[in-house]
Amino acid sequence: MLADFIGEDDDAPPFLPEGLPQATVPIASEGIHLLMHYQGSSYAQLYVDRVRRFVGRRGVDEEMLGQIARLLALRMSYEDPIRIAQLKLAELESTPGDPRLPSVDVRKFRLDELIGALPAAVAEPALDVLQWAGWTHMRVSMRFSTKSRWGVRRLKIEASLRRWRLFSVRYAKERAWVERWLHMISRSLEKQPSAASAIVQTATMIHGYGDGYRRGLSDWHAIIDGLAKPTFDGVLPLADLAAAIAEARAAVTPEPRQVALKRTIAEIRARALSADANAAAG
Amino acid sequence: MDTSQLAEHAGTLFASVFVVATTTMRTMIPLRIFGILTNVVLIATSIPSHNYPTGLLHCVLLVLNSYRLHQMLQLVRDVKKSVNSDLSMHWLKPFMTERKCTAREVLFYKDEKAEDMLYIVSGRFKLVESGIELPVGAIVGELGMLSPSNVRTQTLECVEAGVILSVSYSKVEELYVQNPAFGFYFLRLASARLFQNIEKLEQRLALQTVSPPMSAAPNPA
Repeated sequence: MLADFIGEDDDAPPFLPEGLPQATVPIASEGIHLLMHYQGSSYAQLYVDRVRRFVGRRGVDEEMLGQIARLLALRMSYEDPIRIAQLKLAELESTPGDPRLPSVDVRKFRLDELIGALPAAVAEPALDVLQWAGWTHMRVSMRFSTKSRWGVRRLKIEASLRRWRLFSVRYAKERAWVERWLHMISRSLEKQPSAASAIVQTATMIHGYGDGYRRGLSDWHAIIDGLAKPTFDGVLPLADLAAAIAEARAAVTPEPRQVALKRTIAEIRARALSADANAAAG
Repeated sequence: MDTSQLAEHAGTLFASVFVVATTTMRTMIPLRIFGILTNVVLIATSIPSHNYPTGLLHCVLLVLNSYRLHQMLQLVRDVKKSVNSDLSMHWLKPFMTERKCTAREVLFYKDEKAEDMLYIVSGRFKLVESGIELPVGAIVGELGMLSPSNVRTQTLECVEAGVILSVSYSKVEELYVQNPAFGFYFLRLASARLFQNIEKLEQRLALQTVSPPMSAAPNPA
Protein backbone atom coordinates (compact mmCIF):
# COMPACT_ATOMS: atom_id res chain seq x y z
CA MET A 1 0.00 0.00 0.00
CA LEU A 2 2.87 2.35 0.72
CA ALA A 3 4.91 1.16 -2.27
CA ASP A 4 4.47 4.45 -4.12
CA PHE A 5 5.70 6.38 -1.12
CA ILE A 6 8.60 4.28 0.10
CA GLY A 7 9.64 3.13 -3.35
CA GLU A 8 8.95 0.38 -5.83
CA ASP A 9 8.69 -3.11 -4.45
CA ASP A 10 8.56 -4.83 -7.81
CA ASP A 11 11.13 -4.26 -10.52
CA ALA A 12 9.63 -6.66 -13.06
CA PRO A 13 8.64 -4.84 -16.26
CA PRO A 14 4.98 -5.11 -17.26
CA PHE A 15 3.89 -7.32 -20.14
CA LEU A 16 3.18 -5.79 -23.52
CA PRO A 17 -0.50 -5.42 -24.37
CA GLU A 18 -2.08 -8.41 -26.05
CA GLY A 19 -2.57 -8.09 -29.79
CA LEU A 20 0.13 -5.46 -30.20
CA PRO A 21 1.30 -5.49 -33.85
CA GLN A 22 4.83 -6.80 -34.39
CA ALA A 23 6.04 -3.46 -35.76
CA THR A 24 5.00 -1.67 -32.57
CA VAL A 25 6.64 -4.15 -30.17
CA PRO A 26 10.13 -2.55 -30.21
CA ILE A 27 8.65 0.95 -29.75
CA ALA A 28 6.45 -0.13 -26.84
CA SER A 29 9.32 -2.13 -25.28
CA GLU A 30 11.54 0.91 -25.50
CA GLY A 31 8.80 3.00 -23.89
CA ILE A 32 8.48 0.51 -21.05
CA HIS A 33 12.22 0.53 -20.37
CA LEU A 34 12.34 4.30 -20.54
CA LEU A 35 9.54 4.61 -17.98
CA MET A 36 10.97 1.86 -15.76
CA HIS A 37 14.10 3.97 -15.49
CA TYR A 38 12.10 7.19 -15.26
CA GLN A 39 9.74 6.14 -12.49
CA GLY A 40 9.26 2.40 -11.96
CA SER A 41 7.21 -0.62 -12.93
CA SER A 42 3.79 0.70 -11.86
CA TYR A 43 4.32 3.78 -14.01
CA ALA A 44 5.39 1.58 -16.93
CA GLN A 45 2.19 -0.42 -16.33
CA LEU A 46 0.19 2.79 -16.65
CA TYR A 47 1.92 3.36 -20.01
CA VAL A 48 0.97 -0.17 -21.16
CA ASP A 49 -2.65 0.40 -20.07
CA ARG A 50 -2.77 3.65 -22.02
CA VAL A 51 -1.30 2.05 -25.17
CA ARG A 52 -3.76 -0.88 -24.82
CA ARG A 53 -6.70 1.49 -25.36
CA PHE A 54 -5.69 1.86 -29.01
CA VAL A 55 -4.64 -1.72 -29.79
CA GLY A 56 -6.99 -3.22 -32.37
CA ARG A 57 -9.09 -0.08 -32.47
CA ARG A 58 -10.78 0.81 -35.75
CA GLY A 59 -8.85 3.49 -37.64
CA VAL A 60 -5.58 2.87 -35.79
CA ASP A 61 -3.04 1.24 -38.09
CA GLU A 62 0.42 -0.01 -37.11
CA GLU A 63 2.08 3.27 -37.93
CA MET A 64 -0.33 5.36 -35.89
CA LEU A 65 -0.12 2.98 -32.95
CA GLY A 66 3.67 3.19 -33.12
CA GLN A 67 3.47 6.99 -33.09
CA ILE A 68 1.07 6.97 -30.14
CA ALA A 69 3.36 4.57 -28.23
CA ARG A 70 6.47 6.62 -28.99
CA LEU A 71 4.99 10.04 -28.21
CA LEU A 72 3.20 8.77 -25.15
CA ALA A 73 6.45 7.46 -23.68
CA LEU A 74 8.11 10.80 -24.41
CA ARG A 75 5.32 12.81 -22.77
CA MET A 76 5.16 10.49 -19.79
CA SER A 77 8.88 11.00 -19.25
CA TYR A 78 8.54 14.77 -19.04
CA GLU A 79 11.58 16.81 -18.14
CA ASP A 80 11.56 18.03 -14.58
CA PRO A 81 14.66 18.71 -12.44
CA ILE A 82 14.47 15.09 -11.22
CA ARG A 83 14.63 13.79 -14.79
CA ILE A 84 17.53 16.05 -15.69
CA ALA A 85 19.43 14.75 -12.65
CA GLN A 86 18.64 11.17 -13.74
CA LEU A 87 19.93 11.84 -17.25
CA LYS A 88 23.07 13.49 -15.93
CA LEU A 89 23.76 10.49 -13.72
CA ALA A 90 23.15 8.18 -16.69
CA GLU A 91 25.97 10.00 -18.51
CA LEU A 92 28.34 8.76 -15.80
CA GLU A 93 27.14 5.21 -16.24
CA SER A 94 27.94 5.18 -19.97
CA THR A 95 29.72 2.17 -21.42
CA PRO A 96 33.41 1.70 -20.49
CA GLY A 97 34.45 2.03 -24.14
CA ASP A 98 32.72 5.39 -24.35
CA PRO A 99 33.85 7.32 -21.30
CA ARG A 100 32.33 10.78 -21.13
CA LEU A 101 34.11 13.62 -19.42
CA PRO A 102 32.54 14.98 -16.26
CA SER A 103 30.66 18.15 -17.04
CA VAL A 104 28.44 20.84 -15.57
CA ASP A 105 25.04 21.76 -17.03
CA VAL A 106 23.32 24.92 -15.90
CA ARG A 107 19.57 24.93 -16.54
CA LYS A 108 17.16 27.77 -15.97
CA PHE A 109 13.79 27.02 -14.42
CA ARG A 110 10.97 29.14 -13.17
CA LEU A 111 10.61 28.99 -9.40
CA ASP A 112 7.07 27.55 -9.62
CA GLU A 113 8.40 24.85 -11.95
CA LEU A 114 11.00 23.82 -9.40
CA ILE A 115 8.56 23.84 -6.48
CA GLY A 116 5.98 22.03 -8.61
CA ALA A 117 8.27 18.98 -8.78
CA LEU A 118 7.84 18.50 -5.01
CA PRO A 119 4.94 16.59 -3.42
CA ALA A 120 1.70 18.60 -3.51
CA ALA A 121 1.43 18.64 0.29
CA VAL A 122 4.66 20.64 0.43
CA ALA A 123 4.45 22.44 -2.91
CA GLU A 124 0.93 23.87 -2.67
CA PRO A 125 1.50 25.97 0.47
CA ALA A 126 4.90 27.02 -0.87
CA LEU A 127 3.34 28.07 -4.18
CA ASP A 128 0.67 30.05 -2.31
CA VAL A 129 3.40 31.93 -0.46
CA LEU A 130 5.35 32.52 -3.69
CA GLN A 131 2.24 33.80 -5.40
CA TRP A 132 1.53 36.13 -2.50
CA ALA A 133 5.09 37.44 -2.73
CA GLY A 134 4.89 37.66 -6.55
CA TRP A 135 7.91 35.40 -7.03
CA THR A 136 6.38 32.51 -8.98
CA HIS A 137 7.91 33.64 -12.30
CA MET A 138 11.34 34.23 -10.85
CA ARG A 139 14.12 32.53 -12.84
CA VAL A 140 16.35 30.12 -10.96
CA SER A 141 19.54 28.60 -12.32
CA MET A 142 20.30 25.07 -11.29
CA ARG A 143 23.63 23.30 -11.69
CA PHE A 144 23.77 19.64 -12.64
CA SER A 145 27.38 18.66 -12.20
CA THR A 146 29.29 15.40 -12.43
CA LYS A 147 32.63 17.11 -11.86
CA SER A 148 32.87 16.65 -8.11
CA ARG A 149 31.85 13.99 -5.62
CA TRP A 150 29.52 16.48 -3.98
CA GLY A 151 27.96 17.25 -7.39
CA VAL A 152 27.31 13.56 -8.04
CA ARG A 153 25.95 13.10 -4.51
CA ARG A 154 23.61 16.03 -5.09
CA LEU A 155 22.43 14.53 -8.38
CA LYS A 156 21.71 11.24 -6.61
CA ILE A 157 19.68 13.03 -3.96
CA GLU A 158 17.73 14.92 -6.63
CA ALA A 159 17.17 11.73 -8.67
CA SER A 160 15.96 9.91 -5.56
CA LEU A 161 13.06 12.38 -5.33
CA ARG A 162 11.47 10.36 -8.15
CA ARG A 163 9.64 8.21 -5.61
CA TRP A 164 7.57 11.27 -4.70
CA ARG A 165 7.15 12.45 -8.26
CA LEU A 166 3.67 10.98 -8.63
CA PHE A 167 2.49 13.09 -5.70
CA SER A 168 3.74 16.30 -7.27
CA VAL A 169 1.74 19.24 -8.60
CA ARG A 170 3.52 18.88 -11.95
CA TYR A 171 2.56 15.22 -12.28
CA ALA A 172 -1.14 16.04 -11.77
CA LYS A 173 -0.91 18.55 -14.62
CA GLU A 174 1.01 16.18 -16.89
CA ARG A 175 -1.45 13.42 -16.23
CA ALA A 176 -4.38 15.68 -17.12
CA TRP A 177 -2.60 16.73 -20.31
CA VAL A 178 -1.79 13.16 -21.41
CA GLU A 179 -5.36 12.07 -20.74
CA ARG A 180 -6.72 14.99 -22.73
CA TRP A 181 -4.42 14.22 -25.65
CA LEU A 182 -5.48 10.54 -25.66
CA HIS A 183 -9.11 11.60 -25.32
CA MET A 184 -8.78 13.91 -28.32
CA ILE A 185 -7.26 11.06 -30.37
CA SER A 186 -10.21 8.87 -29.37
CA ARG A 187 -12.73 11.53 -30.31
CA SER A 188 -10.98 12.14 -33.59
CA LEU A 189 -11.17 8.42 -34.40
CA GLU A 190 -14.91 8.60 -33.83
CA LYS A 191 -15.70 11.97 -35.41
CA GLN A 192 -13.02 12.62 -38.02
CA PRO A 193 -10.64 9.66 -38.45
CA SER A 194 -8.64 11.43 -41.16
CA ALA A 195 -7.47 13.98 -38.57
CA ALA A 196 -6.43 11.41 -35.93
CA SER A 197 -2.84 11.30 -37.13
CA ALA A 198 -2.56 15.09 -36.95
CA ILE A 199 -3.93 15.03 -33.41
CA VAL A 200 -1.39 12.34 -32.46
CA GLN A 201 1.42 14.50 -33.86
CA THR A 202 0.38 17.54 -31.83
CA ALA A 203 2.20 15.92 -28.90
CA THR A 204 5.48 16.96 -30.56
CA MET A 205 4.54 20.59 -29.81
CA ILE A 206 5.35 20.06 -26.14
CA HIS A 207 8.86 19.26 -25.07
CA GLY A 208 11.65 20.35 -22.78
CA TYR A 209 11.19 22.52 -19.73
CA GLY A 210 11.02 26.20 -18.76
CA ASP A 211 9.64 28.79 -21.16
CA GLY A 212 9.76 26.53 -24.23
CA TYR A 213 7.66 23.91 -22.50
CA ARG A 214 5.08 26.41 -21.30
CA ARG A 215 4.79 28.03 -24.74
CA GLY A 216 4.30 24.62 -26.38
CA LEU A 217 1.62 23.73 -23.86
CA SER A 218 -0.17 27.00 -24.34
CA ASP A 219 -0.06 26.68 -28.16
CA TRP A 220 -1.35 23.12 -27.95
CA HIS A 221 -4.33 24.15 -25.82
CA ALA A 222 -5.07 27.05 -28.18
CA ILE A 223 -5.23 24.68 -31.18
CA ILE A 224 -7.26 22.01 -29.39
CA ASP A 225 -9.69 24.47 -27.79
CA GLY A 226 -9.98 26.59 -30.93
CA LEU A 227 -10.18 23.92 -33.62
CA ALA A 228 -10.27 20.27 -32.54
CA LYS A 229 -12.77 20.30 -29.68
CA PRO A 230 -15.34 22.56 -31.41
CA THR A 231 -15.11 20.33 -34.50
CA PHE A 232 -15.71 17.18 -32.47
CA ASP A 233 -18.53 18.90 -30.59
CA GLY A 234 -20.16 19.74 -33.93
CA VAL A 235 -19.95 23.48 -33.25
CA LEU A 236 -17.32 24.20 -35.92
CA PRO A 237 -17.93 22.71 -39.38
CA LEU A 238 -14.30 21.99 -40.31
CA ALA A 239 -14.24 19.42 -43.10
CA ASP A 240 -10.47 19.03 -43.05
CA LEU A 241 -9.33 19.31 -39.45
CA ALA A 242 -5.90 17.84 -40.24
CA ALA A 243 -5.15 20.66 -42.72
CA ALA A 244 -6.46 23.26 -40.26
CA ILE A 245 -4.18 21.92 -37.52
CA ALA A 246 -1.20 21.96 -39.91
CA GLU A 247 -2.01 25.58 -40.85
CA ALA A 248 -2.31 26.60 -37.21
CA ARG A 249 0.93 24.81 -36.29
CA ALA A 250 2.72 26.65 -39.08
CA ALA A 251 1.66 29.92 -37.44
CA VAL A 252 3.22 29.03 -34.10
CA THR A 253 5.96 31.47 -33.18
CA PRO A 254 8.09 31.73 -30.05
CA GLU A 255 6.35 34.92 -28.93
CA PRO A 256 4.43 34.37 -25.70
CA ARG A 257 1.28 36.33 -26.58
CA GLN A 258 0.45 33.90 -29.44
CA VAL A 259 -0.76 36.76 -31.67
CA ALA A 260 -0.05 35.00 -34.98
CA LEU A 261 -1.45 31.68 -33.79
CA LYS A 262 -4.64 33.19 -32.40
CA ARG A 263 -5.16 35.21 -35.58
CA THR A 264 -4.69 32.10 -37.74
CA ILE A 265 -7.13 30.09 -35.62
CA ALA A 266 -9.67 32.92 -35.83
CA GLU A 267 -9.26 33.01 -39.63
CA ILE A 268 -9.69 29.24 -39.96
CA ARG A 269 -12.81 29.37 -37.80
CA ALA A 270 -14.25 32.30 -39.76
CA ARG A 271 -13.56 30.51 -43.07
CA ALA A 272 -15.20 27.32 -41.89
CA LEU A 273 -18.26 29.10 -40.51
CA SER A 274 -18.74 31.23 -43.65
CA ALA A 275 -18.30 28.19 -45.90
CA ASP A 276 -20.95 26.41 -43.88
CA ALA A 277 -23.28 29.42 -44.02
CA ASN A 278 -22.82 29.64 -47.80
CA ALA A 279 -23.51 25.92 -48.19
CA ALA A 280 -26.65 26.27 -46.09
CA ALA A 281 -27.81 29.33 -48.07
CA GLY A 282 -27.14 27.98 -51.54
CA MET B 1 11.29 -3.26 48.91
CA ASP B 2 8.25 -1.31 50.19
CA THR B 3 4.66 -1.57 48.98
CA SER B 4 4.86 1.41 46.60
CA GLN B 5 7.93 -0.02 44.87
CA LEU B 6 6.22 -3.39 44.60
CA ALA B 7 3.15 -1.73 43.06
CA GLU B 8 5.37 0.18 40.66
CA HIS B 9 7.14 -2.97 39.46
CA ALA B 10 3.89 -4.86 39.15
CA GLY B 11 2.39 -1.95 37.21
CA THR B 12 5.38 -1.80 34.86
CA LEU B 13 5.14 -5.54 34.23
CA PHE B 14 1.42 -5.28 33.64
CA ALA B 15 1.89 -2.34 31.27
CA SER B 16 4.63 -4.20 29.36
CA VAL B 17 2.26 -7.11 28.80
CA PHE B 18 -0.28 -4.67 27.32
CA VAL B 19 2.35 -2.98 25.13
CA VAL B 20 3.33 -6.38 23.68
CA ALA B 21 -0.32 -7.34 23.25
CA THR B 22 -1.03 -4.03 21.47
CA THR B 23 1.74 -4.58 18.95
CA THR B 24 0.44 -8.07 18.13
CA MET B 25 -2.97 -6.77 17.02
CA ARG B 26 -3.58 -7.05 13.30
CA THR B 27 -6.60 -4.83 12.86
CA MET B 28 -7.42 -1.33 13.96
CA ILE B 29 -10.23 -1.73 16.51
CA PRO B 30 -8.48 -4.27 18.78
CA LEU B 31 -5.28 -2.27 18.39
CA ARG B 32 -7.00 0.89 19.65
CA ILE B 33 -8.68 -0.97 22.51
CA PHE B 34 -5.39 -2.44 23.69
CA GLY B 35 -3.74 0.93 23.18
CA ILE B 36 -6.35 2.48 25.50
CA LEU B 37 -5.83 -0.25 28.12
CA THR B 38 -2.06 0.30 27.95
CA ASN B 39 -2.56 4.04 28.40
CA VAL B 40 -4.81 3.51 31.43
CA VAL B 41 -2.32 1.12 33.07
CA LEU B 42 0.61 3.43 32.43
CA ILE B 43 -1.30 6.45 33.78
CA ALA B 44 -2.20 4.43 36.89
CA THR B 45 1.41 3.33 37.47
CA SER B 46 2.83 6.80 36.83
CA ILE B 47 0.84 8.35 39.67
CA PRO B 48 2.33 6.44 42.67
CA SER B 49 5.84 6.71 41.16
CA HIS B 50 5.34 10.49 40.57
CA ASN B 51 6.37 10.02 36.95
CA TYR B 52 4.15 12.87 35.75
CA PRO B 53 5.62 13.38 32.20
CA THR B 54 4.81 9.73 31.37
CA GLY B 55 1.37 10.15 32.90
CA LEU B 56 0.74 13.29 30.86
CA LEU B 57 1.94 11.65 27.63
CA HIS B 58 -0.42 8.72 28.14
CA CYS B 59 -3.31 11.03 28.98
CA VAL B 60 -2.83 12.63 25.55
CA LEU B 61 -2.48 9.21 23.89
CA LEU B 62 -5.59 8.00 25.71
CA VAL B 63 -7.65 10.84 24.25
CA LEU B 64 -6.18 10.22 20.77
CA ASN B 65 -6.76 6.46 20.90
CA SER B 66 -10.30 6.95 22.19
CA TYR B 67 -11.09 9.42 19.41
CA ARG B 68 -9.72 7.11 16.72
CA LEU B 69 -11.62 4.16 18.16
CA HIS B 70 -14.80 6.22 18.17
CA GLN B 71 -14.16 7.16 14.50
CA MET B 72 -13.70 3.53 13.48
CA LEU B 73 -16.78 2.32 15.35
CA GLN B 74 -18.80 5.21 13.95
CA LEU B 75 -17.61 4.30 10.43
CA VAL B 76 -18.78 0.69 10.82
CA ARG B 77 -22.13 1.88 12.28
CA ASP B 78 -22.63 4.35 9.40
CA VAL B 79 -21.83 1.83 6.66
CA LYS B 80 -24.09 -0.76 8.32
CA LYS B 81 -26.88 1.81 8.56
CA SER B 82 -26.37 2.79 4.93
CA VAL B 83 -26.63 -0.85 3.78
CA ASN B 84 -29.98 -1.14 5.57
CA SER B 85 -31.40 2.20 4.36
CA ASP B 86 -30.67 4.51 1.42
CA LEU B 87 -27.34 2.97 0.20
CA SER B 88 -25.73 6.42 0.44
CA MET B 89 -22.01 6.88 0.86
CA HIS B 90 -22.14 10.01 3.03
CA TRP B 91 -20.17 8.19 5.72
CA LEU B 92 -17.04 8.59 3.61
CA LYS B 93 -17.13 12.39 3.94
CA PRO B 94 -14.84 12.60 7.02
CA PHE B 95 -12.14 10.81 5.04
CA MET B 96 -12.42 13.00 1.95
CA THR B 97 -10.54 16.09 0.89
CA GLU B 98 -12.19 19.15 -0.59
CA ARG B 99 -11.42 20.46 -4.04
CA LYS B 100 -12.79 23.46 -5.93
CA CYS B 101 -13.66 23.01 -9.60
CA THR B 102 -14.04 25.68 -12.26
CA ALA B 103 -16.56 25.62 -15.09
CA ARG B 104 -15.44 23.51 -18.12
CA GLU B 105 -12.83 21.72 -16.03
CA VAL B 106 -12.68 18.02 -16.82
CA LEU B 107 -12.29 15.94 -13.69
CA PHE B 108 -11.52 12.76 -15.57
CA TYR B 109 -11.74 11.35 -19.07
CA LYS B 110 -13.35 8.18 -20.38
CA ASP B 111 -10.94 5.19 -20.33
CA GLU B 112 -8.64 6.91 -17.83
CA LYS B 113 -7.44 4.75 -14.98
CA ALA B 114 -9.72 5.38 -11.99
CA GLU B 115 -7.98 6.16 -8.73
CA ASP B 116 -10.48 8.00 -6.59
CA MET B 117 -14.14 8.43 -5.89
CA LEU B 118 -15.82 11.81 -5.80
CA TYR B 119 -18.71 13.32 -3.88
CA ILE B 120 -20.46 16.34 -5.34
CA VAL B 121 -21.01 19.06 -2.75
CA SER B 122 -22.05 21.98 -4.95
CA GLY B 123 -22.02 23.17 -8.56
CA ARG B 124 -23.13 21.32 -11.68
CA PHE B 125 -21.32 18.29 -13.11
CA LYS B 126 -22.14 16.32 -16.23
CA LEU B 127 -21.20 12.87 -17.48
CA VAL B 128 -20.54 14.01 -21.03
CA GLU B 129 -20.93 10.81 -23.06
CA SER B 130 -24.36 10.05 -21.63
CA GLY B 131 -25.30 13.70 -21.09
CA ILE B 132 -26.45 12.89 -17.55
CA GLU B 133 -26.18 15.73 -15.06
CA LEU B 134 -25.25 14.56 -11.58
CA PRO B 135 -27.17 15.99 -8.62
CA VAL B 136 -25.53 17.45 -5.53
CA GLY B 137 -24.81 14.59 -3.14
CA ALA B 138 -24.02 12.10 -5.91
CA ILE B 139 -21.04 9.79 -5.61
CA VAL B 140 -18.96 9.06 -8.71
CA GLY B 141 -16.55 6.18 -9.15
CA GLU B 142 -17.52 4.01 -6.17
CA LEU B 143 -17.76 0.87 -8.28
CA GLY B 144 -14.57 1.58 -10.23
CA MET B 145 -12.59 0.53 -7.19
CA LEU B 146 -13.99 -2.98 -7.37
CA SER B 147 -14.08 -3.36 -11.14
CA PRO B 148 -11.27 -5.48 -12.65
CA SER B 149 -10.56 -3.04 -15.49
CA ASN B 150 -10.41 -0.07 -13.09
CA VAL B 151 -11.10 2.51 -15.79
CA ARG B 152 -13.50 5.42 -16.04
CA THR B 153 -16.47 4.59 -18.20
CA GLN B 154 -17.39 8.22 -18.93
CA THR B 155 -15.94 11.72 -18.90
CA LEU B 156 -16.94 14.01 -16.03
CA GLU B 157 -17.02 17.73 -16.72
CA CYS B 158 -17.78 20.63 -14.41
CA VAL B 159 -20.56 22.68 -16.01
CA GLU B 160 -20.87 25.28 -13.26
CA ALA B 161 -18.15 25.99 -10.68
CA GLY B 162 -18.52 23.97 -7.52
CA VAL B 163 -16.91 21.92 -4.83
CA ILE B 164 -16.27 18.21 -4.72
CA LEU B 165 -14.88 15.91 -2.07
CA SER B 166 -12.55 13.15 -3.13
CA VAL B 167 -11.10 10.06 -1.53
CA SER B 168 -8.50 7.86 -3.15
CA TYR B 169 -9.13 4.16 -3.61
CA SER B 170 -5.97 3.50 -1.62
CA LYS B 171 -7.52 5.33 1.37
CA VAL B 172 -10.66 3.19 1.15
CA GLU B 173 -8.44 0.10 0.78
CA GLU B 174 -6.60 1.20 3.89
CA LEU B 175 -9.89 1.43 5.84
CA TYR B 176 -10.89 -1.93 4.41
CA VAL B 177 -7.65 -3.61 5.50
CA GLN B 178 -7.61 -1.98 8.92
CA ASN B 179 -11.20 -2.76 9.69
CA PRO B 180 -12.72 -6.08 8.53
CA ALA B 181 -16.22 -5.15 9.74
CA PHE B 182 -16.10 -2.04 7.57
CA GLY B 183 -14.83 -4.18 4.67
CA PHE B 184 -17.73 -6.58 4.99
CA TYR B 185 -20.39 -3.87 5.05
CA PHE B 186 -18.63 -1.92 2.30
CA LEU B 187 -18.82 -4.95 0.02
CA ARG B 188 -22.50 -5.41 0.84
CA LEU B 189 -23.13 -1.75 0.13
CA ALA B 190 -21.21 -1.81 -3.19
CA SER B 191 -23.10 -4.94 -4.27
CA ALA B 192 -26.42 -3.39 -3.30
CA ARG B 193 -25.60 -0.27 -5.33
CA LEU B 194 -24.62 -2.43 -8.29
CA PHE B 195 -27.91 -4.31 -8.12
CA GLN B 196 -29.73 -1.00 -7.82
CA ASN B 197 -27.97 0.20 -11.01
CA ILE B 198 -28.93 -3.00 -12.84
CA GLU B 199 -32.52 -2.52 -11.75
CA LYS B 200 -32.52 1.07 -13.04
CA LEU B 201 -31.02 -0.04 -16.35
CA GLU B 202 -33.65 -2.75 -16.70
CA GLN B 203 -36.37 -0.18 -16.06
CA ARG B 204 -34.83 2.18 -18.62
CA LEU B 205 -34.53 -0.64 -21.14
CA ALA B 206 -38.15 -1.54 -20.59
CA LEU B 207 -39.13 2.11 -21.20
CA GLN B 208 -36.98 2.26 -24.34
CA THR B 209 -38.63 -0.80 -25.79
CA VAL B 210 -41.98 0.95 -25.32
CA SER B 211 -40.89 4.34 -26.79
CA PRO B 212 -37.48 4.81 -28.50
CA PRO B 213 -35.81 8.00 -27.15
CA MET B 214 -34.50 10.92 -29.21
CA SER B 215 -30.79 10.55 -29.90
CA ALA B 216 -28.68 12.69 -27.61
CA ALA B 217 -25.73 14.72 -28.88
CA PRO B 218 -23.09 14.55 -26.16
CA ASN B 219 -20.14 16.90 -26.36
CA PRO B 220 -17.26 15.32 -24.47
CA ALA B 221 -14.51 17.71 -23.41
